[in-house]
Amino acid sequence: MTATGRVLGGIAMVLLAVFIVGPLGWLAVRAFATGWTYPHLLPDGWTLHWFGEVFADPLLFSSIQLSLAFAFTTIAVAAVICLPAAYAFARFDFPGRRLFLIGLFATNAFPKTGLFVSIAALFYAFDLMATFTGIVIVHLLGTVVFMTWIPAAAFAAVPRSLEEAARDAGARPLRVFASVTLPLALPGILVALTMSFLASFDEAQGTYLVGAPVYYTMPTEMYSLVLNYPRQVAAVFSILLSIPSVALLLLVRRHVMGGQLAEGFQLR
Amino acid sequence: MRRRPIAGLLMAAPPVLVVAVFVGFPIGTAIAYSLGHVGGLNTTIARIARDQHTVDAWWQQTLGAYADVLADGRVLRDLLTTVAVTLVTTVVVVGLAWAIALYLRLSGSRAAQVLAAIAVIPMFIPVVIASWAILTFYAGDGFVRSLAAILGGDAPTLGYTVVCITIAMIWTQLPFATLMVTSGVQAVPTALIEAAADAGASFPRIVRSVLLPLAVVPTVIAATFTAIATLGAFTVPYFTGPNAPTMLGVDMAAYFQSYNLPQQAVVIAVVVFVIAAGIGALYVWANLRAARAAGRA
Repeated sequence: MTATGRVLGGIAMVLLAVFIVGPLGWLAVRAFATGWTYPHLLPDGWTLHWFGEVFADPLLFSSIQLSLAFAFTTIAVAAVICLPAAYAFARFDFPGRRLFLIGLFATNAFPKTGLFVSIAALFYAFDLMATFTGIVIVHLLGTVVFMTWIPAAAFAAVPRSLEEAARDAGARPLRVFASVTLPLALPGILVALTMSFLASFDEAQGTYLVGAPVYYTMPTEMYSLVLNYPRQVAAVFSILLSIPSVALLLLVRRHVMGGQLAEGFQLR
Repeated sequence: MRRRPIAGLLMAAPPVLVVAVFVGFPIGTAIAYSLGHVGGLNTTIARIARDQHTVDAWWQQTLGAYADVLADGRVLRDLLTTVAVTLVTTVVVVGLAWAIALYLRLSGSRAAQVLAAIAVIPMFIPVVIASWAILTFYAGDGFVRSLAAILGGDAPTLGYTVVCITIAMIWTQLPFATLMVTSGVQAVPTALIEAAADAGASFPRIVRSVLLPLAVVPTVIAATFTAIATLGAFTVPYFTGPNAPTMLGVDMAAYFQSYNLPQQAVVIAVVVFVIAAGIGALYVWANLRAARAAGRA
């Protein structure tokens, strides 16, 4: 690497870091600010007052609980529905296998807002508008591709020779699956679960369309929050909403960066 | 791969059924509704909607709702805005992803790894927050303007502009493209790159003749996902964009909820689906090509 290359790389890194992290930092500082005067780069004073305000507001607090309830329900349902399918896609040859894989991907090929507007007619007909089930279904749709494609790639990557060795040593099929296949595929499944949790936790537009005016999760609460509350409250809320995501990021960072996610989106 | 037709079908059925019932089926009824069919599943939504165009029998069609939408100059203007934002976002995102991937592949330094890690951060930030953060960053009293003012200059206010929508879309879409392209470029064997360099190939030549052809599939996947996500975006333009022009996702929600014109909202959805289907076909083509090349098809 030449000296010019290193300097250019350094400049690019600083610019990209400011582009990506800058807005987040700018917002985060606001959560601790008493006030702000343009064009100062720092707030007028520091306070923790706004955190108390959020926790004391029953509406905001219930939306936090609701978001977590939806996210955990969604990944549980998604895991039960999708993981056996992922194994079948990876290991079994059956008629329509490729068609089904592409069909599942097609959920992603429909722009979300249009899809939710279309689903609304069905939800009105079956009385699913503004129900817990209706919102879980909307969240589930955002997880299907993650929960089938990524674990399928993970199952497919488990070496057959290891499974055969276990079988030769006398292990029964279920035992082989539990002690060899599952542990080796676990990183991929973990990435899929994380992505699904985030997809549900962050889902705003469909939840708003289907859930309002009964169910307000944290992301949908943000829609009204930024209009009706002081800016600092929205900033505090943003920090709270980011905590689970960032915790998960630290947990699975190695696997996501290691290519589990990218691998999962190649058709097999 | 073992032939297990019954077990395979049974295990694969649940997610396929979920998608068929809650994606395929609603889209079918939505298309029927847009053409004037208000019976069956569309009965309930049709009862509360205003200004519908209806037909009396299943073999008839009406394009009335399409004419309504076309007559609304805003929708045409917003369609152009949506396509423009989608194009710019896709090109910039794929370009940035390639730059990061090349830097990482050819330098492999600690700095390059940090750069790639930073580019993935947005994946873990909820879109609502990202939109709000980016809006405040580029607002009239935001960081960019404050910094310019301190340095004695004057920066434009980008908050609530189409430029701000594009910036926010690039921000939210960069991680996925970076992961895809990086993993594709990393997978190119070092021996191939060195062989080309030994044969006297220049850096651009190596990129064009060695890296690009071998990483074309992840690039197409990254581009299609980015384009489709941008086409259907609602939260980003809703938060960061101006009232007019905006993107079709915002128009759809407004027609549906604010104006109570679900039929016209569905018409816009159908238009967006048609564009997205074209992009989706590109993805399937790239994947099948790769599968064939690998001898799997």
